[in-house]
Amino acid sequence: MNRPASDSSRVAATTGAAAVAEHPHQPFAVRFPGFARRLPWLVLAILALFPLLAPTFGLEYYVGFVRRLLIVAIAASSLNFILGYGGMAALGHAGFIGVGAYTVVALVEAGFSSAWLAWGGALVVAGLSAALIGAVSLRTRGVYFIMITLAFAQMLYYLAVSLRTYGGDDGYGLYTPLEMGVWLDGVHPDVFYWVVLVIAALVFACFSRVAHSRYGHALRGIRDNETRMVALGYPVYRLKLAGFIAAGAVAGLAGGLLASHNAFVSPAMMHWTQSALLLVMVMLGGLGRRWGAPLGVALWLVLEETLKMHTDYWHWPLGVLLLLAVFHAPQGLAALSERREGGR
Amino acid sequence: MSLFVAEGLVKRFGGLLATDHVDLAVERGEIHALIGPNGAGKSTLVNLISGLLPADAGRIVLDGVDLTALAPHQRVHHGLARCFQITSVFRNDSVRDNLLLAVQAQAGSSFRCLRRREAETALMDAALALADRTGLAAVLERPAGVLPHGMQKRLDLALALAAHPRLLLLDEPMAGMGPEDSVQMIELIGRLRSETAILLIEHDMDAVFRLADRISVLVYGRVLTSGDAAHVKGHAEVQSVYLGTEAHA
Amino acid sequence: MDAIFVFEQLLNGLGYGLMLFLIAAGLTLVFGIMDTMNLAHGSLYMAGAYVAARVHEASASFALAVLAAVLVTVAVAALLEVLVIRRLYRRDHLVQVLATFGIILIADDAVKAIWGVAPLMASTPAALAGPVQLAEGLPYPSYRLLLIAAGLLVALGLYLLVNKTRIGMLVRAGASNRQMAEFMGVRVGTVFAFVFALGAGLAALAGALMAPISSVQIGMGEAILIPALVVIVIGGIGSIRGAFVAALLVGLVDTAGRAFLPLALRAVLPPSVAADLGPALAGIAMYVLMAAVLTLKPAGLFPARA
Repeated sequence: MNRPASDSSRVAATTGAAAVAEHPHQPFAVRFPGFARRLPWLVLAILALFPLLAPTFGLEYYVGFVRRLLIVAIAASSLNFILGYGGMAALGHAGFIGVGAYTVVALVEAGFSSAWLAWGGALVVAGLSAALIGAVSLRTRGVYFIMITLAFAQMLYYLAVSLRTYGGDDGYGLYTPLEMGVWLDGVHPDVFYWVVLVIAALVFACFSRVAHSRYGHALRGIRDNETRMVALGYPVYRLKLAGFIAAGAVAGLAGGLLASHNAFVSPAMMHWTQSALLLVMVMLGGLGRRWGAPLGVALWLVLEETLKMHTDYWHWPLGVLLLLAVFHAPQGLAALSERREGGR
Repeated sequence: MSLFVAEGLVKRFGGLLATDHVDLAVERGEIHALIGPNGAGKSTLVNLISGLLPADAGRIVLDGVDLTALAPHQRVHHGLARCFQITSVFRNDSVRDNLLLAVQAQAGSSFRCLRRREAETALMDAALALADRTGLAAVLERPAGVLPHGMQKRLDLALALAAHPRLLLLDEPMAGMGPEDSVQMIELIGRLRSETAILLIEHDMDAVFRLADRISVLVYGRVLTSGDAAHVKGHAEVQSVYLGTEAHA
Repeated sequence: MDAIFVFEQLLNGLGYGLMLFLIAAGLTLVFGIMDTMNLAHGSLYMAGAYVAARVHEASASFALAVLAAVLVTVAVAALLEVLVIRRLYRRDHLVQVLATFGIILIADDAVKAIWGVAPLMASTPAALAGPVQLAEGLPYPSYRLLLIAAGLLVALGLYLLVNKTRIGMLVRAGASNRQMAEFMGVRVGTVFAFVFALGAGLAALAGALMAPISSVQIGMGEAILIPALVVIVIGGIGSIRGAFVAALLVGLVDTAGRAFLPLALRAVLPPSVAADLGPALAGIAMYVLMAAVLTLKPAGLFPARA
């Protein structure tokens, strides 16, 4: 019972230090450069071994939990990319998750059974929706951007409610698992877990990589001083739109995976509180920090899971946590250890 | 033919005519100063030329190319760069990263997203060269936001220079500077004469008279007169509306 | 589709719009004056509904129930202002979203602890249970008429308060230019606290009045929050007049959409498609309205700031 919590605190302590590695002038990374560089691999190795070790500790149940955590972390990473690096406060990100999930449903309903086709379709269709929604939304600023992205997500929500072919309000059950191909299906009961892990690792590596590329620097420049970026000659609108589309597509992929994970899809996935929750997790972890999204997701879901085990009243402690975070750790978890290091 | 021509530029804010059919020309190799009392519409004019504000009417031509319909970032690629009156740099980034960002805008696509930027030596070289030229080489690793005001102004100018402008718009580059910084800035702007024409907005009359080949006076959104320093100094109306008020201030 | 049906739907839309206005008025003031995005505004609406439903059941007096709902909610809101909201005024919008989302979580659990998980069935006051004959062949629930009357009355009162009183002048000064107001020596902190309490009172009133015709349950605050946000964005953030116009617009568009769109679609599309599309389009109507307004007027219909 204590296990998940202590796991997460260890991850928190170590991954926070890795965030320091991004800033070469921070003492920790200077003193332990090798460790900081190897840390992502260490985390990956632990996660990869988890399904094999779990039965020994009686933690089989948590393999599914970690799988969900990884999927949510994919979605959160994509939000962190546009919000944390790009400064785009989108409050409709769950809409793209929903688009991805319903794309899987549509493909299954149409008779397709390949997981790769379904997830790829989720990625593409969500990316296309993001292109349309972003093209309109990115013409607005500030609160109006928040509201218009929310409005579009609400439209998608009502669209899903009305799709009676796909279950409408009641949702749609995916009774047969999608096929991942002969090389994977049936090899091991937890093969889907490793597939998710690989996808999550790839997504995470990609976003980390992009953050240091020309594009990543340009995106941060737009976040910090949009007018100056225009005056420097950057096509700001197109750069933002590209990021928005990429984030929407990745969220859609997460939605597709979530559909497989739950074997169920419903409009509730895109309720506005889900978008808010995603935003909350990213901020809790640390906006615009490499490890912000996975940290925030891990903290939130582990706490939620732990609290649910003990009480029906598991919302309010999370609410209190948010208030504490706002007043005591406004930069997020990933920044906490950084600040401690910097202050030394 | 002039390097740069603005014709009949108009900007209205509600009922206020902030820019009233302004015609302006800048020749090659020229430093053209734009002076005028506060509220004359100088900054508005710079925003219209750079495209940050859409003009209600008028035309902008640089080197024979009509830029009127172009977005502000496209104008930069045609050689029209600018600085800001209120220093506009990336405060949390190091001077080096500021310069890299400016250089990157001109050299190839910013949609490149997999290669680490730090590995692009061409960018780094260009940024270092820019730092050398603008006297920022000694502070490369410092965050821009903690630099002294004069240095920040210089960085602002360096960011604009990265675009290799043919016309550089300087909106009060000496604003808020002490005498020592001003002297350095005047020297730096003077050196730029060989590579770009400059439209200089400045309140520091000393700087204007030392740098400018030609001076235009803007009052209530209109160009009152244009000419060399002697012409402007001797212009009766200018003395009354502008230099007069300045002398009292 | 006859004239009576149309008229009835218009009245329903008007009633819903007025209730939206009560909720949006506080939201737009808090947003406009304090530049604070308060997602927990819907929780105050929920609190009003729950208190009213319970007090009405216990005391059998609807008037007492409404009064209690407003008083209790204002007291809770005052506490909330002092403990949390006051410290958010100068923070980033995203931080405000984070904190007020936290308040939503706490509020939902608090309601669950006090009143349980099951939705409450709030009853209409006995005196207003029957219909009123508005015209020949047009009966209309008398309670819904009360809703409209109360909404109009409050709107009028708010108009007088904001436009004719000293405190209203301070509020307007704060909405159009906070710095100037501070410069003029307005005690901004006091005005803020007053505005927040006023907004809470209005939200509670809406909750109490809506209780008998909607289901009183956890999550009702989150459901009403979004239409209310749509209203303040359409109306122009900070503008009471804008909120009034936009609330009626949204109320009518939403109600009309639900009532007429399925019928209209059935006339031009195959029934199965129409049955699918009707509710979707009806739900979407107000968001389309918002997108259209923002495209034409990016700061809403009545921008409060110049």
